[in-house]
Amino acid sequence: MQEGLWILGAPEVTLAVGGVLLLLAESVAKLQSRAVGVLVLGVYLIAGLCMLPFATTGAVLWGGIYTWDRFAVSGKAFFLLTGMLVTYLSLEGEGKIPAARAEFYILPLFCTAGMALLCSVRDFVLLFVALELVTITLLILVAYRRADAASLEAGVKYLIVGGLATAFLVMGIAYLFGATGSTQFDEVARYAESEGVGPVLLLGLAFLLVGLGFKAAAVPFHIWAPDVYQGAPTPITAYLSVGSKAAGFVVLLRVLLLPFWNSAFQRHWVPLIGLLAALSVVLGNLAALPQRNVKRLLGYSSISHAGFLLIGLASHSFLGFASMLYYILAYLVATFTAFLVLVLLEQDKEGKTITDLSGLVQRSPLLAWSMALAMVSLAGIPPLMGFFGKLLVFLAAWQSGLHVLVFIGVAAAAAGIYYYVSVVRAMFWSDPVHQGPIVLHPATRGLLVVLNVGSILFGFYAKPILALAAGAVAGIGG
Amino acid sequence: MSPLTILLIVEASAIGLILFGAPPKKVSLVAAGANFLLSLWIYAQFPAGIGGWHFVENHPWIALGGLPEIRYHVGVDGISLPLVLLTTLVTLAAVWVAPAQIKRAAEFYSYLLLLSLGALGAFVSLDLFFFYAFHEFALIPTFLLIGIWGSENRQFVSLQLTLYLGLGSLVLLAGIIALLGVLPAEARTFDIPQLTDYLRDNPIAPGQQVLPFALLAAGFGTLVSLFPFHSWAPLGYASAPAPAAMLHAGVLKKFGLYGLLRVAMPLLPGGAETWKPWILALLLGNILFIGLTTIAQKELPAMLGFSSVMHMGYLFLGLACWNALGVSGVVFLMVAHGLSAALLFAVAGEVRERAGEIRFAELGGLARRMPFVAVAFLVGSFASVGVPGLANFPGELLIFFGSWKSQPLLTAVVVWGIVISAVYQLRAVRSVFYGDLPQHLADTMDVEGAKRIPYALLMAALLILGIWPGTLLGVVGPGVRGFLSLY
Repeated sequence: MQEGLWILGAPEVTLAVGGVLLLLAESVAKLQSRAVGVLVLGVYLIAGLCMLPFATTGAVLWGGIYTWDRFAVSGKAFFLLTGMLVTYLSLEGEGKIPAARAEFYILPLFCTAGMALLCSVRDFVLLFVALELVTITLLILVAYRRADAASLEAGVKYLIVGGLATAFLVMGIAYLFGATGSTQFDEVARYAESEGVGPVLLLGLAFLLVGLGFKAAAVPFHIWAPDVYQGAPTPITAYLSVGSKAAGFVVLLRVLLLPFWNSAFQRHWVPLIGLLAALSVVLGNLAALPQRNVKRLLGYSSISHAGFLLIGLASHSFLGFASMLYYILAYLVATFTAFLVLVLLEQDKEGKTITDLSGLVQRSPLLAWSMALAMVSLAGIPPLMGFFGKLLVFLAAWQSGLHVLVFIGVAAAAAGIYYYVSVVRAMFWSDPVHQGPIVLHPATRGLLVVLNVGSILFGFYAKPILALAAGAVAGIGG
Repeated sequence: MSPLTILLIVEASAIGLILFGAPPKKVSLVAAGANFLLSLWIYAQFPAGIGGWHFVENHPWIALGGLPEIRYHVGVDGISLPLVLLTTLVTLAAVWVAPAQIKRAAEFYSYLLLLSLGALGAFVSLDLFFFYAFHEFALIPTFLLIGIWGSENRQFVSLQLTLYLGLGSLVLLAGIIALLGVLPAEARTFDIPQLTDYLRDNPIAPGQQVLPFALLAAGFGTLVSLFPFHSWAPLGYASAPAPAAMLHAGVLKKFGLYGLLRVAMPLLPGGAETWKPWILALLLGNILFIGLTTIAQKELPAMLGFSSVMHMGYLFLGLACWNALGVSGVVFLMVAHGLSAALLFAVAGEVRERAGEIRFAELGGLARRMPFVAVAFLVGSFASVGVPGLANFPGELLIFFGSWKSQPLLTAVVVWGIVISAVYQLRAVRSVFYGDLPQHLADTMDVEGAKRIPYALLMAALLILGIWPGTLLGVVGPGVRGFLSLY
């Protein structure tokens, strides 16, 4: 890919241009908000199609601050998929969000553009810009239901904690720049290679990890997650728990594999990441046990999944990184299935607590089964994707000698079975508290079936996904 | 394509058909019947006298740098073939005795078939990944079967059982990972025969085997209800609907023993040696402590649940002593116990259904009202106690002969377990089927017509194996010799 073609191929350009055009068109022509939602889906599709011809090419652009490699392409594809699913969820949940005006559909385009840009960064300033694009759009979306106190509270919490995290991130970048005189990943790596790893560099790395830990919702930077998850509109909760978390991990991979891959750095960050992983899996799973609100439960569960992903990262091996990418896709499939079910139930003001899910199987077997498979996958029971992801992560960690971390992960996963299964229990053998059958749009049925089949199929036959993940990891250095 | 793969496909497609609205009982019955006939054909075609793997199918599945290779590798030898036969027979019987008029029938039969599919898949898999995955995906159907169709206290029991088995499975997973971890990188694979061959030629230091073996033994032990990890089993079986109890106690639970026999003991002999005293001590808990607990039970299903935990003690004894006689006895007794447990749980289900009562104090004299069921229970009880002429006897005898060589004292103690089991089993026979017939049971109906066939099948199998143990030992002996090099 050459610099001129970048405008055509990069989805972040397509998405941003599409977003601006839609905003303008909407302000002039007063489009129906639902129509805008459909158009947004179209923009995602176009962005994906434009990326296709360049999917196998590689380049480093803009003086070395932007890279186009297999990792970037896979990441962009992942975020396009996330964006499309979020838009679909928003369309399904339209009745639920009062005055869901067109920008509720358009804003995620900018957010996704930021995430797509993040996949390619090789420079700390560009990283900061992209990350802020993501955070600020998400902030607006979290607090979107202005009349709802919970939503506003969530917005304020996200603002304050997010601002703090940003401050740490900038501080870290400043230290790195101060020590090395450059903000480019390559320069930092080269400096560390020639001059050694000093305390200033380590301080910079530590601050950077704080900022990214917030994005990934890893303990101890997780305080915001449960409240924000519960208060935000459900499609945005799904976006936060998949998109924002994945963005955090994409950047962590880039940063730790490029500028901080030096073994002198590894000696410091591997134990640190291992510690964060252990804290996240334990606290996430234990805190989820007493939860009755499903969104809050998924909030804590997402903290624990950040922990499992960090276990893969801590194993700092090829298998560990590939397993993270597999795991995050498994997490996307299961999480979106769960949130789609919640959105569908919310149309009738339900779906808030586990009790509201009671007897779901008698009202809509498809919804109940989808939710059950999502829970079982998140719990890590075969033959679903979540199981294979956990197996890979544990295997990688064990091979890297992190035996204690594997034991902690296993114990935490066992505790996790309890709350995931209690959701299944409510759906399958409690009597319904809400009556009336649930009517599903054929497209929604199709989507649910695709998600379920994908979760089972790629759990048993993980080869294609794993090959993609391995290719992406192999591309990261280039 | 290997006929073993066909077994799996038949069950999977039956589940698919049920999901698309086919009549659940008929489809399940046809699939289970076809699988039973197919497994009989496999047995008939199985070359007698020589060990090794047969009906093998072996494809690469997932290969990735750094990841031990995963293969789709199925096959049977003299150890797994009897278990496949057991699975298909008990599945057929379980589906047959299941009531056709049950709430949410389509779900019920799909879960039963999933349970059976999990067991079948685990027994034919020669790859640790599939071996583990097949077994564990039966966890959720078990949970739902007990939770939705179970009887007393089902909510609590099913959750407890699921958590126990889930924890056991995860410890087992950690054990598998630890096992691969102690191997040098180029030898890491999920393929069981490759691992066996490699470790036979390049044994690893005994000190390194201690941790992986402990994890594997704790994981498998929990799944087979080794004392003190047993408390999920009696309550779970007491509450489960009869077909689910038949399949789980009869078949699926054998997975843990099979795993010890196939994976933990042969691959990590040094670890097994270290932990042997512990296993021997714990199995005494199974036989004596649980045995006495069984005597104290006041309800029929709970008693059967505890008794099924108790009998696991003999199987652990055979495994722990690890010689050809004992291990052959273990394989034989696994089948025999599976058959007798399935028969007894089926009868308990009939009693619960037809008499509407499970407490010994309220039951009695039912032999007059249901003579066929009484005969079935009597046969099951005699088999379970170890009366000669029924299948459990040769199995237990082989185990005792095997263990006598190395553990004469322990064997002498454990043999008294037979007396314990005779006490509770015969007491159950007396208090359920003999004595005065209480007024409220006066119009209990016997099992009639085609419904008798599954009982007849199980009883016939118990008799055949009891009178001609050679039918199965001819396969088991060479299999054990071939796989474990024990002779």
